[in-house]
Amino acid sequence: MTSTTSAVDLPLPSGAVARPRRLFLPHPRRLLPVLEGLVLPAVLLGAWALTSHQGWLPAQILPGPGSVLDAFRELLASGELGDHIRASLSRVILGFALGGGLGLLLGVAMGVSRAASEIIEPVFVWFAQVPPIALAPLLILLVGIDEALKVLIVAKAAMIPLAVNTAEGVRNVPRQWREVGRVFGFSPARTVFGLVLPAALPTVFSGVRTGLTHAWLTLVAVELIASTEGLGYLMVWGRQLFQLEFVLLSVVVIALIGFALDRGLNRIEARIGAWR
Amino acid sequence: MAATALEIRDLSKSYVVNGAPLPVLAGISLDVAPGEFVSVVGASGCGKSTLLRLIVGLEQEHDGRLAYDGRPIDGPGRERAIVFQEHRLFPWLTAVQNVEAGLARSDLGKSERRRIALEHLALVGLSNFAEALPKQLSGGMAQRVAIARALVSRPGLLLLDEPFGALDALTRSHLQREVLRIVRQEGLSAIIVTHDVDEAILLGDRVVVMQPHPGRIAEVIVEEEGPAREPGTPEAVALRRRILHRLGED
Repeated sequence: MTSTTSAVDLPLPSGAVARPRRLFLPHPRRLLPVLEGLVLPAVLLGAWALTSHQGWLPAQILPGPGSVLDAFRELLASGELGDHIRASLSRVILGFALGGGLGLLLGVAMGVSRAASEIIEPVFVWFAQVPPIALAPLLILLVGIDEALKVLIVAKAAMIPLAVNTAEGVRNVPRQWREVGRVFGFSPARTVFGLVLPAALPTVFSGVRTGLTHAWLTLVAVELIASTEGLGYLMVWGRQLFQLEFVLLSVVVIALIGFALDRGLNRIEARIGAWR
Repeated sequence: MAATALEIRDLSKSYVVNGAPLPVLAGISLDVAPGEFVSVVGASGCGKSTLLRLIVGLEQEHDGRLAYDGRPIDGPGRERAIVFQEHRLFPWLTAVQNVEAGLARSDLGKSERRRIALEHLALVGLSNFAEALPKQLSGGMAQRVAIARALVSRPGLLLLDEPFGALDALTRSHLQREVLRIVRQEGLSAIIVTHDVDEAILLGDRVVVMQPHPGRIAEVIVEEEGPAREPGTPEAVALRRRILHRLGED
């Protein structure tokens, strides 16, 4: 009896059940869009090379791609570039963990409890209007210009989008699903971890992406103001020595790291939301 | 076993709309015996879904008496399970995990839960789809999983809120007969709320006809097993005409 009735339903699409995925490498089929994405960078690189080769701008102001590559080799060999990257990444990771974690907690509180939301939200909206970097003058007085300054400012940048997105994701969990939890007697813990958070996860994750991007942008800005290592510092140092190849090198490395962070999270996001 | 599983006595319910009370159910009285299948049929807005939500415990404010097995209903409980019109499966869980969610109240071990959930997937003919995600299932299959989830905690009363309304005719017809078989086999009481008169006739040992504004019972028709149940027989056609006539008055 069951076999005849099952035949009414559509069969499962073949290969639809979880297959292994690669996290970061594009599938060969997707190589063409990647190549298309390289067209504009190639044109810009060509224009840059041409400009410096023709001497339209003096080499002190716009070094050519060749001298930036030389600078890259030099700093890579000396280990300085690695040190700067390591300094910047460790600050962003620490600040993001701190601010992101706090944002997640605040967001869950605001999403779950109307009272919490009424207490937190006004202050929160006010605080969100302050650019993270604008906290620097005050924070320098409070914590000095060392690591704590950078970590706290980065944390502020990461916290806001995470809290906003988490609160929204938690609030928008469909009533239909909540009712299923009530009918089948979910415990409070199961309701939070087995129902609300999975349902909110896609929204929370876009907060993670925005938060990490903001954290990275803010870190470079604060390193320009006050630091003795890191990619932002490398820029300041290059400008002071009038060695613009170091400045340009920093720009390229900062952009590439930001790009890699965003794309990596993009892949993770696609995987987490696979059930949609 | 008590002669009454579900006892509804003079049940009334109002919502407050724009500051004024709007009655949705008025003076509903109905007893459901153990093992009995009751159909509730009525036009949309007659309060039949509200009635089910009160019985399952998702809504609690009401006047009158509402009791299961002699105990007043004051919230959801293991002995009363529901299948909604939409399947309401959790899309991030596989079919078997969704069925296991129906065991949230039990303190069984992990492997025992899995075994019971698989048993109930087999009961609805989906043994081969235990690891499928809801998005990979057809509407009919997803609704079968929802039925397995409702049955897995061995409730005494199965509530069905227009569970086949969104399905195509062929799938609907198969699922109706399968639910009837399972309810009989497990000795459950069941209430199905529907606006489909043929479905009400096919499934119900009694058909409760409701009228709206406010929702109230117009007539309770007792059905015998036999030709009156099967759509298209002269008995069923006569019964259908009688119910439609009732639904038409207001």
